[in-house]
Amino acid sequence: MRVLLVEDDIMIGEVIADALRDASYAVDWVKDGLKALVAVHTQRYDIMLLDLGLPGKDGQAVLAAIRATNNPVPVLIVTARDALDQRLQGLDAGADDYILKPFDMLELLARMRAVLRRKQGNGVPVMSNGTVTLDPATREATAMERGPIRLTHREYALLHALLVRPGAILSRSELEDRIYGWGEEVESNAVEYIIHALRKKLGSETIENVRGLGWMVSKNA
Amino acid sequence: MDGLKERLNASVQFKLSFVLFLAVSVVAIAAGTFSFISAFVEAHELQDDVLYQIAALATKQGIPQAVSQNGVRLDDSDNDSTIFVQYLPGRANHNAVALPDYLSDGLHTVKVHGEAYRVLVKATKSGQRIAVAQLTEDRDDMAYDSAMRTLTPFFILVPVLLIILISLIRKMFRPIIDLATQIDGRSEQDMQPIPSHELPSEVRPFVRALNRLLERVAKSISTQQRFVADAAHELRSPLTALSLQAERLGQAEMSDEARTRLEVVQLGIERGRNLLNQLLSLSKAQSAQMQAASAVSVKAVFRQVLEDLIPQANAKGVDVGVLEGPDATVWISELDITAVVKNLTDNAIRYTPAGGRVDLSVATDARRAMLTVSDTGPGIPPSEQNRVFDPFYRILGSNQVGSGLGLSIVRAIADRTGARVELDFTDKATHIGLTVTFTLPLYNSSLAN
Repeated sequence: MRVLLVEDDIMIGEVIADALRDASYAVDWVKDGLKALVAVHTQRYDIMLLDLGLPGKDGQAVLAAIRATNNPVPVLIVTARDALDQRLQGLDAGADDYILKPFDMLELLARMRAVLRRKQGNGVPVMSNGTVTLDPATREATAMERGPIRLTHREYALLHALLVRPGAILSRSELEDRIYGWGEEVESNAVEYIIHALRKKLGSETIENVRGLGWMVSKNA
Repeated sequence: MDGLKERLNASVQFKLSFVLFLAVSVVAIAAGTFSFISAFVEAHELQDDVLYQIAALATKQGIPQAVSQNGVRLDDSDNDSTIFVQYLPGRANHNAVALPDYLSDGLHTVKVHGEAYRVLVKATKSGQRIAVAQLTEDRDDMAYDSAMRTLTPFFILVPVLLIILISLIRKMFRPIIDLATQIDGRSEQDMQPIPSHELPSEVRPFVRALNRLLERVAKSISTQQRFVADAAHELRSPLTALSLQAERLGQAEMSDEARTRLEVVQLGIERGRNLLNQLLSLSKAQSAQMQAASAVSVKAVFRQVLEDLIPQANAKGVDVGVLEGPDATVWISELDITAVVKNLTDNAIRYTPAGGRVDLSVATDARRAMLTVSDTGPGIPPSEQNRVFDPFYRILGSNQVGSGLGLSIVRAIADRTGARVELDFTDKATHIGLTVTFTLPLYNSSLAN
């Protein structure tokens, strides 16, 4: 995997480049916008990390120039600007994701993997929050030295809903929407019953209750 | 007297009213006096002329013999002025006055039996002398009456004029008083220029100068706020480099002791990062720029905030939750209300000991929603309740590593949006726990238009 890193801050650039190499990426590092354009035109990259505040040519302009030539290289914007409209501008201009300084390297790597996965259209990914893993292909779940465990239809639907975005809190009615089809009669306490079953199979810590709001699987267990 | 002087110096309106009142009064008195005196003199002369005319008639025609010995008494229609015509010398009786004989020809004022008369003596061709006399008192009464009549217009005019003047002055000063009320009612965030087109042209330069000052103040405030925002932005890059380096260092081989110390360094970096974000958040909250308001579900905000803060609460062993109850839809910028709930909840989790509890809830009345965040921490004593909103203020002995900006951000947002923040004890009897109530307007469909 070849990465183009566009970052004018030497300290940040160095550490990101080193960390990327540690993660087995081939890294080309340029420090201004014009060189970035030259690099993109002469070399094929799997992904590009683009700082917005660049000398020479601003990051937004670089992105616009790249997209103007129909170059589909995935672009992940890395910036200290956090105004919402600027973020949206970046995404509208054709960025694939956006990460705000300061960030953790682990998060950057995870975002890069997500962007690459989306671009490559790799079927259905295995869903996980770090403790619980759900494989949509086999409908089997694994959790901390348990499993793989077969889930019932509804258990799968409920766990799937929670794992779409780990850390998100889903209310009872939202979960009922996910596990019952149209016209199916909703049984009272069904959600509690299914969650109880899931906890029994996967460990009581896997699904957390948030008082007054609903249930979630934790983000980074 | 000093009080009057003070008022004269202090108030243009009072001064103007007072001076005009004096001027009108002085002119009216002067004009009245002049007109009274001239009318009075004129009336006297007019009556003297009457005496001359009667004398001329009498000398030409003669006084009828039958009455000549006794004189003639000429009464007017309402008996308040009588003229006597008689020969001189003559006998005093009902129709004649006892005039002294030595009077020469011409006009005299003579006193007879204590009463003054105006007398005209004239000789006829035959050598007889005729006297025409009139009581001075009557003449004075008539002159006085007619002089008084000339004053009537003044008595009517002066009060009317004064009333008109004073109400006119009041009316003219009305826009200035309204302007003052309007400026007093402004929020300190409002740097909009004061509209000057409806003001009198004399006040306009003053208002324009005020507007220019407002503009400069707004500019200097925004420069300051931008500086804070820019500084925080600029600090992000080195902090990013630092945290990435520390993270990378963590992957290297090192002794346990080194690792423990590295963790302390990373905690420090994390704290710096948090402080930066809060500084940016505060500068955004304080910026005069209004965020667009929309209809926002409070429960959705609670959920979003708890999704972010549950890991922190779990790590500390604090039970965070939302109390049962209906949702409320409020009218505010979503970013603002999220920042409010997040900072309040973050503070609550921070200051609540392990095993404690933090409750979020929302209640409504007809027009407002009351969002409350209650904890079972130590609470804030009433003496500190005002100061905790100051940036970087911390209660002594709280030993908490926060940014010290959370409540300042909440207050700044409340000030800008017109919401209210109140602090209280969760358990009022035992003075334990902090409950913060944030009161803001409910959404109703008329606000959206």
